Amino acid sequence: MNRRPYLVATAVVALLGLVCFTISPESSAQAKRVFGSFYTPLFSAQKTAQTTSDYLANQVVPRRTLLKENIELKRQNEILELKLGELSNLSHENRVLRQQLKIQPKPEWKPRLSRIVGRDPSNWWRSIQIDIGSSDGVKIDIPVMANGGLIGRIQETYQHRSRVALLGDPVCRISATIAETKESGVLSSNGGTIFDPTLAELLYLPVSTKARAGDKIYTSGFGEVFPRGIHIGKILAVETATGELTTKASVKLAVNPSLLNEVWVLMP
Amino acid sequence: MKAFLTLTILLVALISTYAASAWSLPKQILGVQLDPLPALMLVVSLRAPIATIAILAIFASLTQSALSSNPLGLSLLPLYALGFTIHINTHSLSHYHTGSRFALGAGAGAIIPLMSLALLLLINKEPLIGWFSLWQWSAGILSSGLMALIFFPLIEWLDKSVEEQPLAAPFDTTTRIIRHHHFHE
Repeated sequence: MNRRPYLVATAVVALLGLVCFTISPESSAQAKRVFGSFYTPLFSAQKTAQTTSDYLANQVVPRRTLLKENIELKRQNEILELKLGELSNLSHENRVLRQQLKIQPKPEWKPRLSRIVGRDPSNWWRSIQIDIGSSDGVKIDIPVMANGGLIGRIQETYQHRSRVALLGDPVCRISATIAETKESGVLSSNGGTIFDPTLAELLYLPVSTKARAGDKIYTSGFGEVFPRGIHIGKILAVETATGELTTKASVKLAVNPSLLNEVWVLMP
Repeated sequence: MKAFLTLTILLVALISTYAASAWSLPKQILGVQLDPLPALMLVVSLRAPIATIAILAIFASLTQSALSSNPLGLSLLPLYALGFTIHINTHSLSHYHTGSRFALGAGAGAIIPLMSLALLLLINKEPLIGWFSLWQWSAGILSSGLMALIFFPLIEWLDKSVEEQPLAAPFDTTTRIIRHHHFHE
């Protein structure tokens, strides 16, 4: 047996493996962008297929159903317009009061709808791929929401797609506040997250916490990555342990990202 | 032609990785993300030369990590180690029956996640692991065995399709007259 090809192949793989593990995070992200570009035709094909299937599905919906839906949507639109008018007045009032008290104005976010085009191919992480990227203005750490609840943050951006680290992923730890007690903690994954993607843990609560099961949790706004007041979920149970300096609580997240097809990206 | 086969195998790796990522049904039903690469590497290492195995390990691991939060090329060493070990033991492995193909695929599906996890922990990453990971591992073993049953005929068919065919002769070869040499003494 000629051993040379085996030695050469093994040496090349070992060298490349060493490079991969010692490379800087920036170079690693750059390399991922390059290798991710191999999937561009497949992502485009998927987008075209989805657009076509949506178009065909719309074509076969009966006219009567569409008219009924249209009337319902018009009613909903009227209600929402009334609420919007009310909220605009409140927003104006809030802005004026902030100016008078010399408090920095709150940044306004523009939600943008995007479609989920893939999920993390490994079981070790919880992330999804969405179909908008840096060319659409997406930046790292932008919050991502669905069904009125936070689901994660932008972890990496490519030209036409982005990866979202979901709540419960080890790299997506965020600061959260309990609405009822105003206490803050850090939302993190626990052993149950891998079984049920809507389970997480709120760490570093005070030992004397007044939090109870059913209390609602919102983003705290600390660190200025996420805006304050985005709904995250509710407390399932508070786990007090004797001799510990802090308490933790198990949390049920408001949104199950496994069942989603579309998400809202809060563009700055 | 072997280069064309290698390219085709890389294409299969790319499409299968993408399909596993885009197809969310197994994750929704079983809570498991399927990985087609161990089964593919198994089948390729039984048929292809070592250069193809190395190229597949490099390309598949780098492109897979581009879709994942995994560190770049995490599965490179596990995939190559699997491919290398199977390749040098090709003659002692039975792979012509459905049962043995399934068993080999399942074995490959068992080894790769363990090696990847060991590497992740070695480089101080904090992957999401718990008791449910045992279920994910078991489901991954089963799915890898099943995927091997798909990849074996697929790669065999591809190999035969790109096999070098003899050029057609410009004359009728159905009747051949073999003239014996006449030796004159």
